[in-house]
Amino acid sequence: MQTQEPRDAESRPASGVEQSDLELVKRAQRGERGAFDLLVLRYQHKVVKLVARLLRDPTEAEDVAQEAFVKAYRALASFRGDSAFYTWLYRIAVNTARNAMASRQRRPLDYEADLSESEQSAVASRMSHSDTPEATALSDEIHATVNRAVADLPEDLRTAIILREIEGLSYEEIAAAMDCPVGTVRSRIFRAREAIDRNLKPLLD
Amino acid sequence: MTDRIREQMSALLDGELPRDEVGLLVRRLERDEDLRRAFGSYVLAGEVLRSPSGPLASARFAARVSAAIDAGTSDETPVPRSVPSPSRWIRPVFATAAAASAAVVAVLLMKPGLQETALVAGGTVQQAPGALAALPIIADSSPTPAHSQRLAGYLMAHSQFASAIGRRNVWSSVLASDPGISRVSYEFAETP
Repeated sequence: MQTQEPRDAESRPASGVEQSDLELVKRAQRGERGAFDLLVLRYQHKVVKLVARLLRDPTEAEDVAQEAFVKAYRALASFRGDSAFYTWLYRIAVNTARNAMASRQRRPLDYEADLSESEQSAVASRMSHSDTPEATALSDEIHATVNRAVADLPEDLRTAIILREIEGLSYEEIAAAMDCPVGTVRSRIFRAREAIDRNLKPLLD
Repeated sequence: MTDRIREQMSALLDGELPRDEVGLLVRRLERDEDLRRAFGSYVLAGEVLRSPSGPLASARFAARVSAAIDAGTSDETPVPRSVPSPSRWIRPVFATAAAASAAVVAVLLMKPGLQETALVAGGTVQQAPGALAALPIIADSSPTPAHSQRLAGYLMAHSQFASAIGRRNVWSSVLASDPGISRVSYEFAETP
């Protein structure tokens, strides 16, 4: 499957996030595993969401997303930065999902009846990750908690985090919009995230 | 201290952290599980704000990916392609050393009355400090034609183990000392 580049890498300057990704990729290429772990943390939700939509089966999404990240790690030495890292990662995720779908189509209809006890246990364990009522309830609770935490923020923090996370503005653009120094923007966004994290922590522990 | 590091982490997430601060922060994150958890929480909050519905990766997802990578073989490490294998340069060095050693042994074995001549030259075999051994100059010990022929054959037979450079050096020594091969000095490299 051919995936289209969302933007032409040659015709526009790389964003701060892309440059930061590239820095992490270079470090991972030199063997710093921590740098790759940060890339996984940054893109895990996006990749899981993308794969879940492609597969139309959330129970399998995490396994396929995991496979995509492992493939990306193995192929990292070949990444030369011609495109943004996330574009490259999404391409791997799309191909991995496509292979998973092809594999699923080859399965016999009575596949589950053929599973051994340990395989059935593995499937049950996988089910507990994402598509059980408990997981759905947790996801709903996370959404509600984040939205409530943002609503409760002081106005300057709320504006800064919304301009950053929803509108995707750079610190410099936010500073211009809010008429304050860039350092203040950085501090406000950090304090907004800390306030949200304090609300999320009990749910994630 | 922790707040400053967390603020750096927040800036890194937005691509706004100065490049020279990234390395130290990555190393801190590698060691500190709570910082990684907080980084994951910052990412999660942004994801929820941008997309109010849809599945999210489970809390243990990143750890599972990390474990899956660790469970793989060592050749999964993204090693830069330009790093040469040590064997590419060690092999010719050893081959050269082996051929040179063979030549020395051959010369010494074929010298008539070597033990006596060694004592004649210096009285004793000198043992330099640091295990640097130097054999004495062998005085007045011209080989017979039969000896030269045996030496040449021996060197030919062992030159296949040496690199081209090594072969050239060994043969250069032989040619320089021939036809007399009367005064040959040998020094052994210092051994570690």
